[in-house]
Amino acid sequence: MSGQGEEAGARLNAMLAALPRELPPERDLWPEIAAQLEPRRAPRRWLSLAAAAVLLVAASSLITAHVVRQGVAPVATVTAPPVSGAAAVRPASFGPSHALDPEYVAARQQLAAMLAARMDRLPSSARQKVEDNLAQLHRATDEINAALALQPGDPLLEELLLNTYQDELAVLASVNQLANFNGTTVPEDKRIKL
Amino acid sequence: MVLAEASAVIDFDRAHRETYERALIAEAKAGSDMAFEKLYRMHVGRIHGLCLRMTANRDRAEDCTQEAFIQAWRALPRFEGRSGFGTWLHRIAVNAVLAQGRRRREETGIDEAVDDTLELVADPAAGEPGGDLDIEAAVAALPPGARRVLVLAGVYGYSHEETASMLGIAVGTCKAQLHRARQLLGTRLAPVEQPS
Repeated sequence: MSGQGEEAGARLNAMLAALPRELPPERDLWPEIAAQLEPRRAPRRWLSLAAAAVLLVAASSLITAHVVRQGVAPVATVTAPPVSGAAAVRPASFGPSHALDPEYVAARQQLAAMLAARMDRLPSSARQKVEDNLAQLHRATDEINAALALQPGDPLLEELLLNTYQDELAVLASVNQLANFNGTTVPEDKRIKL
Repeated sequence: MVLAEASAVIDFDRAHRETYERALIAEAKAGSDMAFEKLYRMHVGRIHGLCLRMTANRDRAEDCTQEAFIQAWRALPRFEGRSGFGTWLHRIAVNAVLAQGRRRREETGIDEAVDDTLELVADPAAGEPGGDLDIEAAVAALPPGARRVLVLAGVYGYSHEETASMLGIAVGTCKAQLHRARQLLGTRLAPVEQPS
């Protein structure tokens, strides 16, 4: 390619690169899109754990009912008893403008203590899955809390965080159900796949 | 909790935007159309821009944009995050443009293979040579095949392999179409020689 051709090519590249990537439509297309979205409610992964259902309902309803908006109240935290490994339950928080209700905190603390006592009864493969699942939920909690710090009071983020805590409770509840079976190690044919 | 109140687009920096986007994707996967609306508002500019440049037609671009988001809603439960959400949406939008082209061909009998042989036609309404309006008009006037490749590779920065994969063409064809598009654009955008 000649020098002149290269120069023209570079000029063309620069012109194309300078074009705006975003060209919003002249009208709002969302109402027509929304009208065509089929409703769906994907089953939440943890809610399929039938054995945990009773405890889950009791525990998660505590969150739903008692996470209350308290203006600029300080963040409520609770430190669970030490649990080894990645499954350790960490302090819970709910953004800068909310506090977790003491009843929920107590329920969570109780579940965490039970988890610490019963994790050893689980088969190693199940224990690993629980630890992985809890670590994943903790990452999600961190991300949502980071977003909430930037956007305090965002209702969608708050709901996401609630859901994440509910998922965590479901995992804790399922572990306690599993490990409590016969008070000892769960027989192979009675284990629930996480 | 009134989720509808949370419809404003939030201007985060990139990292926080990605975090926020992941949270929205999770919620939309679980069925929240309000979370999906936020995703729509975050991405509609790029998706519509892509569709407008690929179709060179405002009405068809709006149809493709709508179709892309409807298809994205349906496919979202299968989105695993291996690619970025924006890239995933782009692929869906490109498919919507291609599908619309096929339907149009069936309904009107316009054969894109013939359409593709059209030569670049200068648009008298275009702006000064070298300006944004001018180059947008020149891109819009490209033959469809060359235009699509140029838009994906030249404007949106996809590699030949990615562009070929999205359009369902061979990499060699992609390179040839891009070369052709650039030649046509170069002709159209060449500065007019002024008589001395």
